[in-house]
Amino acid sequence: MATPMIDPALFDQLKDSIEKDSSIRKDLEQIIEELNQNVSYTQGVLTKIHSTPRSKYDALLSQVEGGIKKELETTKRLAEFASQYPYYKYNYKWGRTLQDAIATVLLCAWLGGMGSESKPGEVGRLLTLEEVGEVVRVPVNLKDRDAFHITIEEYLLALISVVEDLSRLAMNSVTLGDTELAVQISGFIKDLHGGFQMLNLKNDILRKRVDSVKYAVKKVEDVVYDLSLRNLIPAKEAQ
Amino acid sequence: MDEAPAPKRAKIVSEDASKPIENSTGNNMSGFKRDRHGNEKKFNNGPRPAPKPKVAVVRNAYTPMFEQLRDELDAHHDRRDRLGKASRDVTGLSKKIVRTINPDLPPQIQSEVDSRLAEISKLLATMAPDVQGINRYRYSRSLMCLEELAEALTFAHYLKTQTLLKPEELSAFVEDLTRKGAAVLGEKEKDNQDKDKDEPMPDAANVPVPPPSTEQQETTGKDSNNPVETEQQQQQPKLEPLIMSTTIDDYFYGVFDLSGEMMRFATTSTALTGKMAGAEDDERTIVEDMHELGSFFEMLPTKAGDKKQWEKKLDVMRQSVRKVERLGYDRKIRGSERPKGWVPDLTVDQPGEDEE
Repeated sequence: MATPMIDPALFDQLKDSIEKDSSIRKDLEQIIEELNQNVSYTQGVLTKIHSTPRSKYDALLSQVEGGIKKELETTKRLAEFASQYPYYKYNYKWGRTLQDAIATVLLCAWLGGMGSESKPGEVGRLLTLEEVGEVVRVPVNLKDRDAFHITIEEYLLALISVVEDLSRLAMNSVTLGDTELAVQISGFIKDLHGGFQMLNLKNDILRKRVDSVKYAVKKVEDVVYDLSLRNLIPAKEAQ
Repeated sequence: MDEAPAPKRAKIVSEDASKPIENSTGNNMSGFKRDRHGNEKKFNNGPRPAPKPKVAVVRNAYTPMFEQLRDELDAHHDRRDRLGKASRDVTGLSKKIVRTINPDLPPQIQSEVDSRLAEISKLLATMAPDVQGINRYRYSRSLMCLEELAEALTFAHYLKTQTLLKPEELSAFVEDLTRKGAAVLGEKEKDNQDKDKDEPMPDAANVPVPPPSTEQQETTGKDSNNPVETEQQQQQPKLEPLIMSTTIDDYFYGVFDLSGEMMRFATTSTALTGKMAGAEDDERTIVEDMHELGSFFEMLPTKAGDKKQWEKKLDVMRQSVRKVERLGYDRKIRGSERPKGWVPDLTVDQPGEDEE
């Protein structure tokens, strides 16, 4: 054999690169798994909203905020770790989990939680992408540098989960005798639906999920219809 | 129905033979809908249906927010589409290179390769601004062409030197191509602002600003609300053209495909010359090289991320190795009995797959 076809050093070089990549993925998976557990606990607490009258929201929401606090701690670790590597190389791994985490933050804030000194919580408040970034303490929609952040898609997908949850709440709030909340949810979802209609969607996951907003609209419209039929809509909303 | 494939084939042949190489996306690229007779479809309200008039959205508290998000998403989709188009062109050109260098490398083939590479370098230069920094991995899926390019380049390198191109050499080569392409584009646009409109930049048509390198600002400037970023991007092209970077994945999958090309090369060259392709001294032949390349990948750990694709490619490579070793065996046993031009029967593993 004269000279070999492949430089012997090349093997170790490539092997190292593959092994390094695998170990990054393992570390990421560990953090994401932890975040997953934080998120599913918080989601679990949030399901209680469907059986809680509005007078008892405060206690429930502080429990939710406790869960969110844990989420944020884990997200902080994730952000620090992930920022060392090209963002879009691995972001598909945590995208789903992060969306769910954002959804808990959004829903909690809409129900009147996540208040701060400057902005007290109130029912019906929608956090913008920027505000979510402030809560989670990570940048959003980053373009000028390569680091961990929340993308527009993640925010929108989280928002869609919230819409679905609220459409369910509209029904349950009627059961609990809170027709005013149902009407408010109806208005909110319709407004958002109008917003989603403005997006130019490609044939991707976002389009699929945006479709579900239509069904949420239908669901709340049915509830409002039932209410108006029986003259149950509170006077000031009816005008 | 049966006639359809025949003319198509003829066309491909004639296209290959014709010297001037045209980019597959000329100006006639922008499509229009045809009716079933193949004529341009007429619409009642003009040549093509005007994009649906935006439903007059009743504005509400969230409208501004959605408007902003919409613009961001549109910029993202535009970038992806642009890259996808250019990527398909580069893929096509790379595949043509591979077809060309398949035999030996006589001068006329080298010159054809060079002219295709020149096309590719221009395309790469137009793509580069969209894949800087954070966007490199964002659009990885739209950049499959780099694998094909890596295949072509590693193959050319193998034919010339009988060695495997290294990742850093590949990166350097692609970077260099981008730079050259940017230089050519810059010059071209300087000389002639209006004539020579058949340049291979389908997207440039949408960009009304002709001066050199402003296109790069156009593309990046569109989605930057951030003044710092815009400023940075505006200065960059003047100092140093933006480059197209390659990732280790591009390299890996390119080399996987290289094995298939080596197999084809081994088969055809053995048939044509009656001896196994190899270095001058004949000490090392392509059979050994295939074995070496095969073992190389067998020993590497499976790359996490897309295990399925990795394993599929590995399997294809195994088959290529088997085919070439079968070829070596055939030649050893009864090579001298075979007349020149005899094509070995390699259809044992994959019946009918080997039709050349």
